Amino acid sequence: MAEKAILYDATRCTACRGCQVACKQWNENDEYIPTPEENGVQAVNRGSYENPPDLSPQTWLKMEFREVDTGGKVRWLFTRRACMHCTDAGCVKVCPSGALYHHELGFVAYDKDLCTGCGYCADACPFNVPRSDRNLITGIAKMDKCTFCTTPGLDRIAQGWEPACVKTCPTNALEFGDRDTLVAEGRKRVEALKDKGWTNAYLYGDKELGGLHVMYVLDDHPAVYGLPVDPQISAATIAWQEVIQPIGWAVGGLTILGLGLNYLVARAATKTEKEEKDAARS
Amino acid sequence: MRQEVERYSKPTRILHWVHMVAFCLLFLTGLVLFIPQLGFLAQDSWTRVIHRIAAVAFVIAPLIYIPMNWKATKEGVKKAFSWGIDDIGWLQAAPRYYFLGDESGMPPQGSMNAGQKMWWLIVLVFGVVLAITGAVMWFAKTTAPAAVLQWMVFIHDVAFIVSGTMLFVHIYLGVIHPLMTESWGAIVRGKVSADYAKAHHAKWYEEITKGKEVKS
Repeated sequence: MAEKAILYDATRCTACRGCQVACKQWNENDEYIPTPEENGVQAVNRGSYENPPDLSPQTWLKMEFREVDTGGKVRWLFTRRACMHCTDAGCVKVCPSGALYHHELGFVAYDKDLCTGCGYCADACPFNVPRSDRNLITGIAKMDKCTFCTTPGLDRIAQGWEPACVKTCPTNALEFGDRDTLVAEGRKRVEALKDKGWTNAYLYGDKELGGLHVMYVLDDHPAVYGLPVDPQISAATIAWQEVIQPIGWAVGGLTILGLGLNYLVARAATKTEKEEKDAARS
Repeated sequence: MRQEVERYSKPTRILHWVHMVAFCLLFLTGLVLFIPQLGFLAQDSWTRVIHRIAAVAFVIAPLIYIPMNWKATKEGVKKAFSWGIDDIGWLQAAPRYYFLGDESGMPPQGSMNAGQKMWWLIVLVFGVVLAITGAVMWFAKTTAPAAVLQWMVFIHDVAFIVSGTMLFVHIYLGVIHPLMTESWGAIVRGKVSADYAKAHHAKWYEEITKGKEVKS
């Protein structure tokens, strides 16, 4: 089946944060309004329209606002922050239980029941997306992240619908479709931006990490939008998953084989020795 | 009655069993993360809780034992680090000895033979490595940089492979190998027969019986 993707066009985004709300609503991730009398939380002014302050187990999508000074002119830039659904996904590589896996349509789906709470995914993600509530003493934890609206029971994609964030976007800054189609569309828009003088315009996710399933049309360098330039799977992930674990299997397996062999040989040897002794005695 | 000599004191045996149970629990609850097909056993974090309880026992047991048995600890560590010509001899004779039961090339051994010394070193070094890297992952999960945590997992994994594999060898030699007839009794009851001590640890037997008759 053709891979699906989301195309986010930062130049069309008005940062209304409708996607944030739709994401919470559809996925039943409640947010409370800080009210000291009711929930003991005082609202804090952080000097930004951004709210809540960060991704969390209850916030899978969040709009970021940036004020960038270019040649004495302030530009207000918006970035969508959520799982990027990598093809070469660090989280899928390190997940020990198969809770994180690639959906047949390419993006990274998640079976929350299987999550052990190890948190390896959080350390392996180049975008710092997976979040969990963790009990510091017992270590009991569950991770959460955007599932591309494929959470069991809340699966919009299986219904043939677009993800909740895309559905609600009033300016079509978010689009859902076949990845190939969206790549072509994204490249076209980047060319158009370049023609208009945005020489650093860039389609983020076209090539990154084997191709992301959330791609961004940017009118400037990714770093300006706070995105990691040329993200990579870390050396530790590769050394651990692709070198040490296979070696571990080989060493463990050979040792057990060797011990079994030793038992057979040694038992036979001690038996004949005993028989010889008994024969000598009689 | 057959002649017997004391091999392991009671505190030593208790430490051994507490450590053995703790390590096996740690091994098994860690192993489920190594085998994706077993990952479902770890869901909802309950193996993580057991892993932490066992980890506390694993770290606290020696911390209680060491000050109470300072002399035995010092001696044990000293022995594990003193290697001599007979240890080289052991390494050379070990394959024929452990496979064929051929004792001809095996030099007399002290209370710890070269193999036991190696296991001791593995327990000492990797016990500390596992405890430190584990503590970082447990208590600094939200504060340490992701790269540090990833390398901690990596080192923890390497130590797990080495010590876990050697645990198989240790259990096999202690319980299953046809020549090690009395090592199980030694770690359960603390005693081995004089004959066994003479045959397996001749230098040690000489040491402990020097100048006194073994009571029969």
